[in-house]
Amino acid sequence: MRWRSAAGLGAVILLAVVLAALLAPLSGYDLVTDVDPGRAHLGLSLAHPLGTDHLGRDVRWRLVFASRAFAGPGLLAAAVAGLLGTLGGALGGYRGGPLAGSARYLYAVIGSIPRFVLVLLVGSVYGDSPWVLALVVGLSYAPALGEALHSRVASLRRAEFVRAGRAYGLSDARILWVHLVWYASRALIGRHLLAVFGYYVVLESTLAYIGGFGVQEPMPSWGNMLVFEWGRGQWLALLAPAAALWLVVSATRWLADALEDPLDV
Amino acid sequence: MRIQGGSALLRALLARAGVLVAVLLGAVVLVVSLVHLAPGDALDAQGIPEALRPALEARWHLDLPVWQRVAIHLGEVLSGDLGTSLAYRPGTPVAEVILGPARRSAVWLFSALALTLTWGTALALYTAGRASAHRVALRTVSILPVFLLAHLSVNALNEGAFAAMNAGWIDRPDWFALPDQASALRTALAVVLLAVGSGGLTEVHAAMERAVTSARRSPWAEAALARGEPLAPHLWRHLLLALTDLSLHRVAFLIGGLVILEKVLLLHGVGFILWDAALHRDSPVVAGITLLAAAVLAVVRLAGDALRLTLDPRLRSDP
Amino acid sequence: MSETLSLTGLAIRGPNRLLVENVSLSLAAGRVTALVGPSGSGKTLTARALLGLVGFKPGVISGTLEAGGAHLALTHATPQDYRPLRGKLLGYLPQGARASLDPLWTVERSVGASAALGSGPNDPSHWLRLSGFDDPEQVLRHFPHELSGGMAQRAALACALAGGSRFLIADEPTTGLDPTVQEGILRHLTRLKARGLGVLLITHDLRLLPELADEVLVMAAGRIEERVTPEALVAGALRSEAGVRLLEATRTIASGRLG
Ligand SMILES: Nc1ncnc2c1ncn2[C@@H]1O[C@H](COP(=O)(O)OP(=O)(O)OP(=O)(O)O)[C@@H](O)[C@H]1O
Ligand SMILES: [Mg+2]
Repeated sequence: MRWRSAAGLGAVILLAVVLAALLAPLSGYDLVTDVDPGRAHLGLSLAHPLGTDHLGRDVRWRLVFASRAFAGPGLLAAAVAGLLGTLGGALGGYRGGPLAGSARYLYAVIGSIPRFVLVLLVGSVYGDSPWVLALVVGLSYAPALGEALHSRVASLRRAEFVRAGRAYGLSDARILWVHLVWYASRALIGRHLLAVFGYYVVLESTLAYIGGFGVQEPMPSWGNMLVFEWGRGQWLALLAPAAALWLVVSATRWLADALEDPLDV
Repeated sequence: MRIQGGSALLRALLARAGVLVAVLLGAVVLVVSLVHLAPGDALDAQGIPEALRPALEARWHLDLPVWQRVAIHLGEVLSGDLGTSLAYRPGTPVAEVILGPARRSAVWLFSALALTLTWGTALALYTAGRASAHRVALRTVSILPVFLLAHLSVNALNEGAFAAMNAGWIDRPDWFALPDQASALRTALAVVLLAVGSGGLTEVHAAMERAVTSARRSPWAEAALARGEPLAPHLWRHLLLALTDLSLHRVAFLIGGLVILEKVLLLHGVGFILWDAALHRDSPVVAGITLLAAAVLAVVRLAGDALRLTLDPRLRSDP
Repeated sequence: MSETLSLTGLAIRGPNRLLVENVSLSLAAGRVTALVGPSGSGKTLTARALLGLVGFKPGVISGTLEAGGAHLALTHATPQDYRPLRGKLLGYLPQGARASLDPLWTVERSVGASAALGSGPNDPSHWLRLSGFDDPEQVLRHFPHELSGGMAQRAALACALAGGSRFLIADEPTTGLDPTVQEGILRHLTRLKARGLGVLLITHDLRLLPELADEVLVMAAGRIEERVTPEALVAGALRSEAGVRLLEATRTIASGRLG
């Protein structure tokens, strides 16, 4: 019962973040880049519900705008991982053969490099545009999803209900995509996609926090918003991006937990 | 029916080693190609001292077509030559740049692995089969990314120490203010945060809790109980097996976390160098560290497979 | 004086209903007491209650057990109280023998661990021979997944006996095995009975009983419906509905006449 409501909350949070990223530009960029040292470190007020940072910029708006740094690329990363993982895993698991073998080999090769290291390698060689990073993250998650799907489809391929379906005259494509992928594996796929999105959120804020890669000042990211509050005793400005990050990452987990996998025990 | 013992294990292990070598070769090809397929001249962006330029150009065969460069570089890597640093420490062999710090990083990495596994298992043995608030609390903290955990704990330690110094309760501690130049606290902090953060500890805890519960509920555990046997001698093998499976997943994840923590907490390991080299676009160093990480991962996987095959007879029975 | 183990007034409550009600039975050395009944009637549950293994709440709500000079109130027995019972006095051959062996242990280790707790010989081969292996060396170093169904059954039997128990609960020892193996196990149980073992044989196969059993308890829906002799069973003199249906079904299958 409790986790059901947590899942609903998770969905609402993720939706809100994506909406914020879509709608934020409508209010103009001045809101987040408008520096005014005279307004620095203001506390709570109606005009600034979360106060202002060390340059007098409104923390609330920076928090909202920062969703642009990860929402789009995060969705792209999930889409890439979902597409490559599902295609390779499902076809490979159902058909087998040399093509499936080479797909698995490719997965294994990509999976043999720690994800974050691969991101840094590609970022350093090809630049750190969010779309490049999203592509790498998506690629690096495809093996995990592909492998999981491969073994599930391969084990279900011989299941009673699949044989019955075939005897009943269902086409292979229908059995594979409708029954094995959609009904039997959608929770599995959904969990992976949520994990990819969560990973991208963390990756983006990590890069911006450390600096050099990712979003740069004056554009806001939950990562770089944290940097400037270091050791200044600005607890609210410190906690706001931290809490936002926690909420979004938790939201992906809550939602993932609520997806009911028919093959879970 | 045949008795299956050492020879079956050896055969299975050799097969696994073969696969891992093939995968590692693939990783070398992937990394080298990624580096060479990048648009533009690798030396342009570097601000290389002019004196070094001709030597490096010849070294990198920049006059040749891409595929030839890839082939030459592949040959070098496979013969154990990782090349020389371009920008981070120009002219120094990559192996020399990374091996010393890599040794330090390995110590931190495996300390964190040991910590997260023992901690998660101990918690799982305590909470398995009980309603417990630990789970929620653990998840709430552990889900925070490592950089944020580091940021929060460093801030809390500094502010706390600062307040205590102002109040005259303590003298200035030798680690103040974090991240300082050299203190055991900083290293310990990195290891602990690495073990806990980015969901690490909850994941170990949840997996081990599942392992404990399913072992305790299994028919063989009940039968052992019915014979008056203690469960521990049975349980530890099953838990060790679950731990082995788990470590294979955790190591790759911990490597990423360590790279971040080394940078945030100013620890001079190979992850710190990776950051700087990546920012300097020093591709030989970055490629070298990437391949080192892949090699470490492969060795860990092989060791894990060896352990799994020794522990679980079902895995080594011939099909 | 022949040794006995007797259970009186056992009742078990599940999460939402009564699963076992007022079950009493007693085992004696050298006798086989058979517990028969349709699937889900509570046979396995009764066996597990004897060993304190009912793992759910509320679980056992009444019942006493008298064995080996001890008197045990099952409602508040602690694992401590079961110590002299489990394995030492009462061995348990669970339903599904292969799964009851630790998959990571060789037969030798499994039987050895059980034997080490008892006062009998520590040599696993001794117990394997007692359980019907003519050449125990063959099976010692094998793991459960490498055994055939019949071998797994006998290895599990060796584990159950190795603690030196004088009573045995055998839960459907012949289910799922081919007739020759079934016959082997029956022959073997008869031998054990002759050596003085007291057996609680749980089954829904009435064909086993005439040769082996001394007393037959028919269980249905958590109660013992009737107690008969095997002779009465052969003569078809059953009164309870569950018993009659079981007997009819057995005869139909035995004569190959269906429908
Ligand atoms: N752990 C449990 N929790 C709740 N109910 C249980 C549990 N174990 C058994 N039961 C219930 O107790 C009843 C009796 O189960 P039991 O296993 O004793 O049947 P059985 O007579 O051995 O049947 P079979 O011949 O199929 O083995 C069943 O209705 C079952 O649903
Ligand atoms: Mg049963």
